[in-house]
Amino acid sequence: MGRDKPSRYWKSWEQGPGASELIQISTNEFPEPLDRPPSQFSRRSFLKAAGFTAAVAATVGCSRAPVEKAIPYLVQPEEIVPGVSYFYASGCGGCSAGCGVLVKTRDGRPIKLEGNPEHPLSHGGLCAAGQASLLSLYDSQRVKEPLIGGKPASWQEADRRITEQLASIRASRGPVRFLSGTITSPTLNAEIQRFLATFPDAGHVTYDALSSSAILDAHQETHGARLLPHYRFDLADVVVSFDADFLGTWISPVEFTHGYRSNRLNESAAPKMSYHAQFESRLSITGAKADQRVRVAPDELPSAVSRLAVSIARLAGIASPVPDSGTGNPPDAILETLAQRLWEARPNSLVVSGSQDRRAQVLVNFINQALGNYGATLEIERPSLQKSGSDRELQALVDELQKGQVAALFILGANPVYDLPNGSAIADGISKTRLVVSFSGQLDETASASRFVCPDHDALESWGDAEPVRGTLTLYQPAIRPLTNTRPVLESLAAWRGQPRSAYDTLREYWRTEVFPKRQSRDGNGAGAAGADFQSFWDASVEAGIAQIKTASTTHPFRGAAVAAPAAAGALSADEFSLVLYPKVALGDGRHAHNPWLQELPDPISKITWDNYASVSPAAATRLGLKEGDVVRLELQSRDREGAGAQTIELPSFIQPGQHDAVVSVALGYGRKGTERFSTVGPKWIFGRSGVNEEGRVGKNAAPLLEFTDGSLQYSGSGIRLTKTGRQYSLASTQSHHTLTIPKNIPLVGGDTREIVHELTVAELVEKVHAAATAPPPPELPKRRFPEVPMNGMWKDDHPYTGHRWAIGVDLTACTGCGACVVACQAENNIPVVGKDEVLRHREMHWIRIDRYYSGEEDVEVVHQPMMCQQCDNAPCETVCPVLATVHSAEGLNQQIYNRCVGTRYCANNCPYKTRRFNWFNYARNDKFQNLALNPDVTVRSRGVMEKCTFCVQRIEAARIESRRHGAAKIADGQVQTACQQSCPAQAIVFGDLNDPNSRIAQMARNPRRFAVLEEFNFRPAVNYLAVVRNRESEITKEAKAHG
Amino acid sequence: MNTKLVTIVLGVGLIVSVAVLVTQSSTLHIPGNQEGYQPPQPIAFSHGLHAGEMQISCFYCHSGADSSRHAGIPAASTCMNCHRYVTAPLGALREEDELAKKENRRPAPIVSPEIQKIYDALALNPKMEPDSQKTSKPIEWTRIYRLPDFTYFNHSAHVSVGVDCQTCHGPVETMEHVRQVSDLSMGWCVNCHRQANEKGIAGKQVRASLDCSTCHY
Repeated sequence: MGRDKPSRYWKSWEQGPGASELIQISTNEFPEPLDRPPSQFSRRSFLKAAGFTAAVAATVGCSRAPVEKAIPYLVQPEEIVPGVSYFYASGCGGCSAGCGVLVKTRDGRPIKLEGNPEHPLSHGGLCAAGQASLLSLYDSQRVKEPLIGGKPASWQEADRRITEQLASIRASRGPVRFLSGTITSPTLNAEIQRFLATFPDAGHVTYDALSSSAILDAHQETHGARLLPHYRFDLADVVVSFDADFLGTWISPVEFTHGYRSNRLNESAAPKMSYHAQFESRLSITGAKADQRVRVAPDELPSAVSRLAVSIARLAGIASPVPDSGTGNPPDAILETLAQRLWEARPNSLVVSGSQDRRAQVLVNFINQALGNYGATLEIERPSLQKSGSDRELQALVDELQKGQVAALFILGANPVYDLPNGSAIADGISKTRLVVSFSGQLDETASASRFVCPDHDALESWGDAEPVRGTLTLYQPAIRPLTNTRPVLESLAAWRGQPRSAYDTLREYWRTEVFPKRQSRDGNGAGAAGADFQSFWDASVEAGIAQIKTASTTHPFRGAAVAAPAAAGALSADEFSLVLYPKVALGDGRHAHNPWLQELPDPISKITWDNYASVSPAAATRLGLKEGDVVRLELQSRDREGAGAQTIELPSFIQPGQHDAVVSVALGYGRKGTERFSTVGPKWIFGRSGVNEEGRVGKNAAPLLEFTDGSLQYSGSGIRLTKTGRQYSLASTQSHHTLTIPKNIPLVGGDTREIVHELTVAELVEKVHAAATAPPPPELPKRRFPEVPMNGMWKDDHPYTGHRWAIGVDLTACTGCGACVVACQAENNIPVVGKDEVLRHREMHWIRIDRYYSGEEDVEVVHQPMMCQQCDNAPCETVCPVLATVHSAEGLNQQIYNRCVGTRYCANNCPYKTRRFNWFNYARNDKFQNLALNPDVTVRSRGVMEKCTFCVQRIEAARIESRRHGAAKIADGQVQTACQQSCPAQAIVFGDLNDPNSRIAQMARNPRRFAVLEEFNFRPAVNYLAVVRNRESEITKEAKAHG
Repeated sequence: MNTKLVTIVLGVGLIVSVAVLVTQSSTLHIPGNQEGYQPPQPIAFSHGLHAGEMQISCFYCHSGADSSRHAGIPAASTCMNCHRYVTAPLGALREEDELAKKENRRPAPIVSPEIQKIYDALALNPKMEPDSQKTSKPIEWTRIYRLPDFTYFNHSAHVSVGVDCQTCHGPVETMEHVRQVSDLSMGWCVNCHRQANEKGIAGKQVRASLDCSTCHY
């Protein structure tokens, strides 16, 4: 049988190498204990009730349907046909990365955000947070009008009082400070400067809650300009990352994911692959993709960078700026080989670091300089503007505030009371300031401490622009009229400086004077194509949502003198852990904490929803005697904070394989004000439990554990003590839900254990490609993988597929597991949020889930596998439905007919891939206002109905009608993009027609890396996976080398 | 005694039900079947006059029919394309014209009370200019043809292959007051799809899908 070999992959520590309950967990029919008393409802009473119900239903059913009104426009806009969706190019307001989006509006309402495929940075991808930012527009708890002292006021009143106070501050030469997150909008920056110029003492302080301040400061030292390089992962053949989660959360993950993926694997006749090494303390999705991942504690990182610098300097034949600091973790051998690889690939190599240690960043600059990467994989001529915060200036401002020296403070796009370590001191400082104005659209921690709240428009309601990378502009246009009485910051500032002007006029004026003269055609070849007069340039820019401009050429020579050895980290005592605070892919710095889609998105690695937690490695957990869910007290013994007592926070613990043993990691962005609303998320029923913790919020704020050291915010390295409190807290993790297991008693055709995911090394791929090239081409697509063993004919081959035959391909080498597809699917298909309690009951509704498999024990490796309905040709679900609510379409889809479904759940029971979801309740949206974001092209399912992915059949049908209207016989390849495919930053998902031999999906199905999950059971799924490839030697070559 | 009473009550019930069935069978319908539905509308608009007598194309008002899921109900601005000038039935206007000629005076403006409703909706004064004293208010028509929320019908798909409007909506051009002429049941839809596949539409071969997901998703 060959079934004795255990599977290489496992899903969680408890089920994997960690221990014992493996079989019980995965094979129990009921994952939750059935501890409720048996029902007292007898068969007779059931029949009575059923009969009565039927009678009532018949009576009611005979009446006429309720009267429905149809209300047309009074004056119909010429460009709008009701019922047709229109796409407007704009920009994403989710963070400062400035990705391009296409806003899908239907009958005047934005209902979906898609990536703009023509955007030069994001290339059509859009992350989970970007997708979900649609819900912020329809958030009923938005600040709907200006507030003065917490009370609603009119704009006239607010303007009058603010201008009065500003006049007296101007007269008394009081200091005015403008505090903001990174602003990439050149128009807004110019307006802020104009506004501040009216005061004798004014300053603009920028900071980022997820700061990259050290990189900017390091470039100030080495290049004489405080800039953030534009990293070109698309050009890097060798990438070495020191704790930079560039595929998940670092600076501009969508852009970096696209670049990284585009250079990752070149599947020509001689396959070529980039090489990626990751040194990190916690397990990030970037580390999960790495060819070599080394666990390194935060205090070991500076030495690792120095030793790499020494090796590179030796290779370059230049004097090493740092002394050889000996050995340690990571081993010298690894660093030596890496240095060699970097050197050979130069200038197409790239070293990045997410560290906030300025001196380590200076060394990273030295390495990149020695490799000649500046000008190749790091652009400083056209630098990135996505992070410009200065922690040093922030610290100075905080001091000023605490001393009560600031007369007026304006706060835009920042929440310092929440996300800085000394938040209460800042709140205190704010209360000492005469005039405090917040522009926040949410009544967050800082806005509620501010006297004036002058809410800004949502990004989808406003005109605006962004320059994420010097010379590349994203133009934002409104997709809906403002829903509430908000006002753009541009207009507020203009009004307060006494020259009121609309945001549109300000923006246009800036573009006429600053952008238009420097215009460049989008491929960068001169100005001719970009529009001769301003109006046509403007129209083209609004239509595309993008513009390119020429930039002044400046050179920044490298100053070698600045390079010095990084300070050795202070040693931690034996009972201390090193703390790592990190942002999660979904929640980031916490600005989207009010967004239920993001709260319910499982973390790509831990698969936990609705909470943050203290992660420890399995070894550390064993040492401390911790089990998952044990609440631990984290105690920060601050070394730098004079007089401040120990900071403590109590969090549930989570055992995270692949984490460094001396590290505790905690996610930032939780415990936000405004998450109290989620206490009632999910269905209301007798066994329903609250979705929030004992503080009444979702998760806990870890920002008090941050530290300011050496002029920058430190996210890692502080010593922390862990003690068990003895309490328990349940974490809603989806990692053991919907597990694919092959029962041991089923004999397999072919007689071998086949893994659910497949992995290859480049060497193995080369062999495969050669084998495929020399073998005669198969006469048709391989129907099954085991042709030598006849499949017993349980299913008849009765699907002729004469027209289209839809299929999806997922390239697992490209997939990073980031979860953008999950939220895209949720937005497209009206998938409800069920709440933490229901997730604990295994009732999450996501149609596409991303299975995360570990392999190995100590240094685990991770593979992500998006799993949606596989649309099997021989579908086990179809054979068991008693009412034919799930049947096969002529084009290969397992149709799910909601109105026919009676909810027996047999199909879900019989689904080998566990991709069906049942509506246990009518999951009304917690926030009724957010129903405005529902997609009118997809039925909202009600209680008792099964649902699942159908390859976005509404998009297929729309494309069919569109192509037939234009006289095409068939839907062209690429005309239909599923929601998951559209948003994928890595473009890992391909949808198309297998019957068209030239389609991308048909080519994918012929790829030698292709496999299907559980293929040996002859379900013949329509989802084709391409195996994960890692750039390393195959086991065989390694062995041969060892012996040779 | 008790059983006797029950029997009598049940018997009477049975007789009454049978009687209702026999006499009312023409108006009984299965749940959801709205065939014959003819609700009152806010304006006594006559399709017979506009589409029949005047021979205005259906698409002039229902302009979404060939490009959108919804055929659409015309905006008041569409009505105004004609009714800026046509303020009353032609007969009434002509009568007043002749009367005025006889009495040797300028004809008085005549506005039919039904057409006045359009002007009111748009808040227009008698000179057809926006009246700031009035507030505009959209016209609330009562929807007749209605499918359940789980059924997706697309007008443009049918119009583009040449299905006549009358196939589903009946002889609207003869109707003074529109009523639903088809039962809009699934069987009715599917039968038409089957027949179209066999016989074609307007002499052309068509492929009308019979997959559930054509309409349900």
